[in-house]
Amino acid sequence: MSSEYAQEFSVVEGKPSLRSLDEIISKPLNTKPGLKYYLALAFTLTLLSIGAVGLAASLYYGTGLWGNNNPVGWAWPIVNFVFWIGIGHAGTLISAILFLFRQKWRTGIARFAEAMTIFAVITAMIFPIMHTGRPWIAAVWLLPYPNQHSLWVNFNSPLLWDVFAVSTYFTVSFVFWYVGLIPDFATLRDRATSKIKKVIYSVTSLGWRHSNRHWQHYEMVYLILAGLATPLVLSVHTIVSFDFATSQLPGWHTTILPPYFVAGAVFSGFAMVQNVLIFVRKIFNYEHIITVDTLEKMNKIMLLTGTMVGYAYSMELFIAWYSGVNAEQFAFVNRAFGNYAWAYWIMFSCNVFIPQLFWIKKIRRSIPMMFVIAVFVNIGMWFERFVIVVTSLSRDFLPSSWAYYSPTITDISLLIGSFGLFFTMVLLFAKALPAISIAEVKAVVDGSQPTHHEEH
Amino acid sequence: MPKNIWKSIKEYENDPEVLKAKLDEYKEGVKDNFTPDEMSSLSRRKFLAILAASTAYATTACTNYRDKGEIVPYVDRPEEILPGKPNFYASTFSDDGKSYGILVKTREGRPIKIEGNPDDPINKGKIPSKVHASILNLYDPERLTEPTLDGKEISWEKVNKSIANLLASSNKEIALITNPITSPATQKLLDELQAKYSNVKVYTTQLFSNCNRQDAWKKSYDSEVLPSIKWNKAKVIVSLESDFLGKEGNRTENARLYAEGRDIVNGNDINRLYTFEAGMSLTGMNSDYRVRLKPQKQYQLVMALLSELLKRGSISSSNFDSSILSSIRKNSISSFATDNNLDTKKLTTLVSDLGKNKGKTIIYAGDILPTETHIAVNLLNDALGNSNLYDYSKGFVNFGSVSSPNDIKQLVANMYAGSVGAVIHFDSNPVYELSNSFGYAEALTKVETVVALSEAVNETTKLSSYVLPLSNILESWGVHQTRVGSITLQQPVISTLYNTKQKEEVLLNWLGNGSDDAYTKYLKSYVKENVYNKGSNAADFNTFWFSALHDGVINVSSKINSYPNFIQSNFANANTSVNGFTVLLQDNYSFGLGQYANNGWLQELPHPVTKLTWDNCAAVSPSTAKELGVENDDVLKINIGDREISIAAMIQPGMANETIAIELGYGRSNAGTVANNVGVNANLLLDGSSQLYFDNASVTKTGETYKLVSTQEHHSLDEELVKDLHLIRNIIQEGTAEEYAKHPEFLKEHKHEIFSITDNHEYNDVKWSMSIDLNKCLGCSECITSCNVENNIPVVGKDQVEVGREMHWLRLDRYYSGTPDEPIVSVQPMLCQHCDNAPCENVCPVNATNHSPDGLNQMVYNRCVGTRYCANNCPYKVRRFNFYDFRDHFRDEYYQNELTYLVNNPEVTVRSRGVIEKCTFCVQNIMEGRELAIKEDEEFTGKDVTTSCQTACPTNAIEFGNSNIPESTIAKNREHNLSYHVLEELNIIPNVTYLAKIRNTHSEDV
Repeated sequence: MSSEYAQEFSVVEGKPSLRSLDEIISKPLNTKPGLKYYLALAFTLTLLSIGAVGLAASLYYGTGLWGNNNPVGWAWPIVNFVFWIGIGHAGTLISAILFLFRQKWRTGIARFAEAMTIFAVITAMIFPIMHTGRPWIAAVWLLPYPNQHSLWVNFNSPLLWDVFAVSTYFTVSFVFWYVGLIPDFATLRDRATSKIKKVIYSVTSLGWRHSNRHWQHYEMVYLILAGLATPLVLSVHTIVSFDFATSQLPGWHTTILPPYFVAGAVFSGFAMVQNVLIFVRKIFNYEHIITVDTLEKMNKIMLLTGTMVGYAYSMELFIAWYSGVNAEQFAFVNRAFGNYAWAYWIMFSCNVFIPQLFWIKKIRRSIPMMFVIAVFVNIGMWFERFVIVVTSLSRDFLPSSWAYYSPTITDISLLIGSFGLFFTMVLLFAKALPAISIAEVKAVVDGSQPTHHEEH
Repeated sequence: MPKNIWKSIKEYENDPEVLKAKLDEYKEGVKDNFTPDEMSSLSRRKFLAILAASTAYATTACTNYRDKGEIVPYVDRPEEILPGKPNFYASTFSDDGKSYGILVKTREGRPIKIEGNPDDPINKGKIPSKVHASILNLYDPERLTEPTLDGKEISWEKVNKSIANLLASSNKEIALITNPITSPATQKLLDELQAKYSNVKVYTTQLFSNCNRQDAWKKSYDSEVLPSIKWNKAKVIVSLESDFLGKEGNRTENARLYAEGRDIVNGNDINRLYTFEAGMSLTGMNSDYRVRLKPQKQYQLVMALLSELLKRGSISSSNFDSSILSSIRKNSISSFATDNNLDTKKLTTLVSDLGKNKGKTIIYAGDILPTETHIAVNLLNDALGNSNLYDYSKGFVNFGSVSSPNDIKQLVANMYAGSVGAVIHFDSNPVYELSNSFGYAEALTKVETVVALSEAVNETTKLSSYVLPLSNILESWGVHQTRVGSITLQQPVISTLYNTKQKEEVLLNWLGNGSDDAYTKYLKSYVKENVYNKGSNAADFNTFWFSALHDGVINVSSKINSYPNFIQSNFANANTSVNGFTVLLQDNYSFGLGQYANNGWLQELPHPVTKLTWDNCAAVSPSTAKELGVENDDVLKINIGDREISIAAMIQPGMANETIAIELGYGRSNAGTVANNVGVNANLLLDGSSQLYFDNASVTKTGETYKLVSTQEHHSLDEELVKDLHLIRNIIQEGTAEEYAKHPEFLKEHKHEIFSITDNHEYNDVKWSMSIDLNKCLGCSECITSCNVENNIPVVGKDQVEVGREMHWLRLDRYYSGTPDEPIVSVQPMLCQHCDNAPCENVCPVNATNHSPDGLNQMVYNRCVGTRYCANNCPYKVRRFNFYDFRDHFRDEYYQNELTYLVNNPEVTVRSRGVIEKCTFCVQNIMEGRELAIKEDEEFTGKDVTTSCQTACPTNAIEFGNSNIPESTIAKNREHNLSYHVLEELNIIPNVTYLAKIRNTHSEDV
């Protein structure tokens, strides 16, 4: 075996000292944010407040402010929901699945990706509740709780499965993320100079003393949680896809949806994580921790999942033709050539054609190129959900009830607001918590692990 | 055991207090003689009381439950009223020269629904949409409430006094303008008024009248009584520019009789309908053969038919005078067909059909056609021996002709000249209705006293000094006769809501009889003298009167004026020249020209052909639109001479080329918040004659667009992708009569076996099902209005219909096939199918929609959180979502007020914002039937339960019932050879069965 193949590339470049890692990672936490940070925050808060106004108006006047109409009962809010849940897939996949597969390159990005998962799921969860006609009771009645009416939720309904799937995913992801943070909280506590910080970090670090026994428990818990989180990564979007797959609507009622949704979710999640990390590594000088190698690996995953999505698109068309069912065939021909063809081709080009550029190594490693491609992927993935949700509904079985859907200004404000909420949380996170797992990064610095190689 | 156990020093010392305490097993306060007062101030009970009270306070303080006022029970319960039980009263609705026997359903004294009176011999319990919806006019928040003089309130006494003075003292003409009067008693009063005050002159206006028909009939047969037609006996019906199924004459009666002739489901032969028309009408939509022909050409068509029939020897030339013969012989079918670019085959088929079915055919010309054409049609019917299809016993009463344009011109001239002292608008609205060319509105300003009697504001009340509020139909007495064989009575079902009077009462007052019940007495004595005394009644008058009021109808004997001879000398040639664009002005389908425009239910009712709501349009044919470069919503400028309007175009398949059809009744400027500025006032195109079509119109595109809103997308004929999907998907299944005769099971032949991996649900007791006979369904939309009223369906407004949020539980899907110019139209009522395997039910996360043991798909509004998943998963898209609180949203809460709330059916929940709703199969009627069965201790079989759409359907196309009774009609219909389910292949087992339409075309055409 040639040594070139056997040799592991360094995950962290330049073999930084462990102390310098502490410093560089905790630096944003200890310094006052600059003007640029405030400008960025002001921007995201503006977006957030646009959404808040839209949401308040929807609550006050009713869902009638949206573009939803009679055949199109679900539209942008559900598109946004599926989109954000999809974004929330990369984090847990990176931190749990890649952890189980011992992919060390995940270390530099896991924490941030996981945080993004949590924020994306929070953002996503707003939509299914707010899109109901009566959110004030939907939020309660969708939970199975014993009551004097002996009324239960309908366990047959995929929407209810959604409630369970998303809330479980959120809980497990959050716990997983928090457990990973404990050693870092302890490090921060030890480094803290102000009294307030010390108290906060003491509480949040749950009495961590970096003892050997702690580390043993920690590793086991982390492994178990990773094991728990792994099926969830696959299950959440599978169950979200059930909302569509178990219905009888042409264009929704397809068995390919679960794997197709999961692949799409990972695809869009990686694109979003890659987009954000490109900024993070630049702003916080993490270029040697979040290396181009890492980004390239992410791009490879995008290429893989993007191609899977492309396969799913083609397979849908084939199965529709193969089924011999007119309504089914029409649904897909209509997607590609009907009145929403523009959306379909935006989706197809952004998700299938453009990511093919990642076959080229130069593009895969070029920061500007990969950034632009990932932006396209996110646009494409949003449109994928739009195509699935809206085009299928707008032209279903009876031509008499068809209607074209157009969004209203409130719909747009809610989409903008969702980005505002997500990025506000990301910004606050970057300033309040270590964006990279200090403990884990230390473990993957060259030379930190015992080795059999003679030269070390 | 140690003897002395002590717990304290005091006990050890045998302190008497301790000893006393030891005697009591329980501590103080828990003794037998327990008194809470001795205890601490916060006892357990008090604590609980405070807890309960504070919880109650907290919860009530946190709710927004408004005080809805006190509910006071009856002290003396009215004898007839049983709370919770509806009372029905027979009465009569009349408007625009037509009258319908009605049954008014009242609850606790308030009218909530108008249904047809089944005892009405003409309409047999069927009424048009306008009548159904008119209940809303009773509760219209904008009704006139007090008499006013120049906008200031004034008492009735003062008004009546001053007008009576004016009548007595004025030596100038006093014009009284009225619409046709269907009440002989009112007519008598008017006559008395004219007798008393000789300067009173009565003018009658009616835009859409049948005076050409009356006139032609008189000329043809010298008879005043226009017979009705026995449509049910006709084998071949030829409609010439006549929408007899949609608008003309007594269309509810026409539709019922016509549909009796389409009863193929029960094994009867069916009639064949030919339509020759320029506009696309409901009748045209239902015809077996439809030919596009401009109205000017109809005369030639009749002559060509006569000529061809003569040539074939189907009719003998001895029928005709020589002059008529020669003008007939000038025509021929072939030259007529080539001249007008028509399909000769259709015409020759018609001729042979007419020849084969002599005496069983009817040719029917439209009201707008000129007298000459009507005479020619009478001649053709006569020659074919069709006069035995005329029904004189139900002939139309001629209530005096409409004032001629010359009369109106003279009146206006007199008004200008100052020789008119007063104009009294007797529940009429000439300012809107009359052509602008008369200059009527300006002339009104020259008249000293202008009086308007009206129920609601209109264009005329605006220009009148005295505005006198009239009572609603449901608050008034009356007697009406529009047909010779029967008289209907009208009785109030609620006392006047406002300070209003009925118009007859006002007249009586002016005649000097001012007592409160003057008109009731007058009416009673009228009936006694003119009805009771003329008949041979065994009972005394009071018994007769009350039984007549109870029934609502009095049958009177009519002199049968049978088979008069055709008077050949009055035959005349008609002008058949036609140049350029033709503009057809038509009545609208739902609300007419009067006060019913301000009725949201009617404005929102989709047009039966175009599916347009809240607007009228210029309907143009696809070919003409292409020539003009016009698309839907393009605004057209239409000029006829110097008269001009701008109106949005709508491409209507089936329109004649170079023809524009526009409906009137829109563009109201002062009809109320609902109707104002809805659509375009095409009355401006009227030229002052009685003519309703004009040629030489110029049509130009203005370049502007105006959004027309319909409940169905317009795509089906243009896009290759979506063409004929309704046939491909078996949504509409049709056949021809010949095919059906040869293979009665043709529908079932290609059916796939559908199997399920689970067992079907069992319904052992009652199973509700509906069947809809598409052979009888004409698409008239009466069912929709009836459903709206019964089920408290809100009006959503144009902006919401535009985004597809109309709330109708029942819709009439209209599909086109064939070519854009010669479309074949199929109509299908679509409502909740109450599927056994309802796809909406399993997706609801909160179980808000579920299945009842008797097969109903139920909707629990209170439980619904509004995910709309059910609506998405419903393949029929019949679920409706309350995107807003529509009562709140429509026209700034127009219908959200204490008065309009009274229109709501108390048996049906008024749905709030954010919940889904849909057809319930009128579950309130089912429950009422069930309660009755329980009360009577009978087994509930559901035999008398009906749905609102079913009772409203003029053609009885809808059957509803318990399909578990094998001998019931519904069970038989479900098993019928023509029965099918829409989207059967989904195996959701719908419970609405459609009976396929059979077209009576010749097989070679198919």
